[in-house]
Amino acid sequence: MLIDTAAYGNRWRWIAPEAKAGFTLAGLLAAFLAGSPVIALMLALLFALLAVLGAGVPGRLWLRVALLPLGFLALSSLSLLFSVTPEAGWHWAPDAGARISELAGRSLAALSALLFLVLSTPLPDLVGLLRRLRCPDALLDLMVVAYRMLFVLTAAVRATCKAQEARLGHASRRQSLKSLGLLAANLLVQVWHQALGLHLAAAARNGEGGLRFLSAGFVHARRDCWLALLAGICLLAAVAGESV
Amino acid sequence: MHIMEGFLPFQHALGWTAASAPVLVWGIVKLKRRLAEQPEQRMLLGVATAFAFVLSALKLPSLTGSSSHPTGVGLGALLFGPLTMVPVAFVVLLFQALLLAHGGLTTLGANLFSMGVVGPCVAYGVFRLTRGLGLSTAVFCGASLGNLATYGMTSLQLALAFPDPAGGVGAALAKFAGIFALTQIPLAIVEGLLTVMIVNALRRFNADELRRLPLLHTPEAKA
Repeated sequence: MLIDTAAYGNRWRWIAPEAKAGFTLAGLLAAFLAGSPVIALMLALLFALLAVLGAGVPGRLWLRVALLPLGFLALSSLSLLFSVTPEAGWHWAPDAGARISELAGRSLAALSALLFLVLSTPLPDLVGLLRRLRCPDALLDLMVVAYRMLFVLTAAVRATCKAQEARLGHASRRQSLKSLGLLAANLLVQVWHQALGLHLAAAARNGEGGLRFLSAGFVHARRDCWLALLAGICLLAAVAGESV
Repeated sequence: MHIMEGFLPFQHALGWTAASAPVLVWGIVKLKRRLAEQPEQRMLLGVATAFAFVLSALKLPSLTGSSSHPTGVGLGALLFGPLTMVPVAFVVLLFQALLLAHGGLTTLGANLFSMGVVGPCVAYGVFRLTRGLGLSTAVFCGASLGNLATYGMTSLQLALAFPDPAGGVGAALAKFAGIFALTQIPLAIVEGLLTVMIVNALRRFNADELRRLPLLHTPEAKA
């Protein structure tokens, strides 16, 4: 997983997640506040530069991660390009340019802000942040177990796929659908056994629910938060001022 | 099909979040009650969440050539019931946004509504209704119609947010549904077939495990 790799290996890994999440929130709000596509594009650029130059995420990786949402944006913009009525049929939408540039600007700015957060902060840090924000325990437990099992299951999927390919499991479309079905069914059974094992292991250690882990320590958390708050307010003020 | 970050206007993002939030809270309450009764399900649901995430990252052989992904929503709803699926779907969608940049935080409410509420409910309802026609038929109908309902809901969300200047919401719905139908209709059929194959493979090789899941309160499973 590209994002996970970048999140652990960037320069801003040890900045408090509260600070990064707070600044991202300001960025998302600013994306909605931005009055013109130019301001939105500048926002997108700002967050992309923060991720690439500040946190040191490779630019190529940033682009590869952004490719999928950009595909969705392109496909959806296509539908705004045309207008359709029962009488006149298909024709170019009158204000398509303005609508699409507004939409694309806002989406790009918000996407860039999201990417800044996820590429600089590992998921367990964000789960820790949610715990401090009093998110319900039942949800947090789901997240903790799911994150830990993700990689186990991904390894199992890779091994099974390789074994199926070696036996011509993906030789035809029909065969590959069958292989996928077998893979998912087998995986589900592994899921069952893994879960039973985990439950027994937790029960043997007196586990009664509530999976807690030591969260990483952030030395300059207070300073980071103040800086992020200041930067976020400045950003919002600048965008609001420009848009009026 | 996930709506990307920042795509929906502010009021719509807020509105869909407000629509999903009560269902999510209800799902969490139900989940807590379930965990109190059956503590061994804590780990099972956590691992099932990871399973749903990994499954949604698998590529399906799609007829139009584009790579598509199963939603896994139908299977989950059949195995665990639609309401328990809401918190699971929430975590899966959050992980997809945070680990794959697939979907987003501002559109989490809208995506949860289509993929975590409408899809599982339709899948479960159709499964129950068609149960008399045989297990495979019911599973196929449930999974594929659940997938289609998800896609229809997403198209509706997009249409409401971006109504056609001339034709209004109806025309916009036709446009969005038409564009995504190219990949989504074959995908719904493939997802239905895949879910049938998963259930059949489970019944053949792992009848023991299946007996403990709600799906298996069926005549075939008892026999």
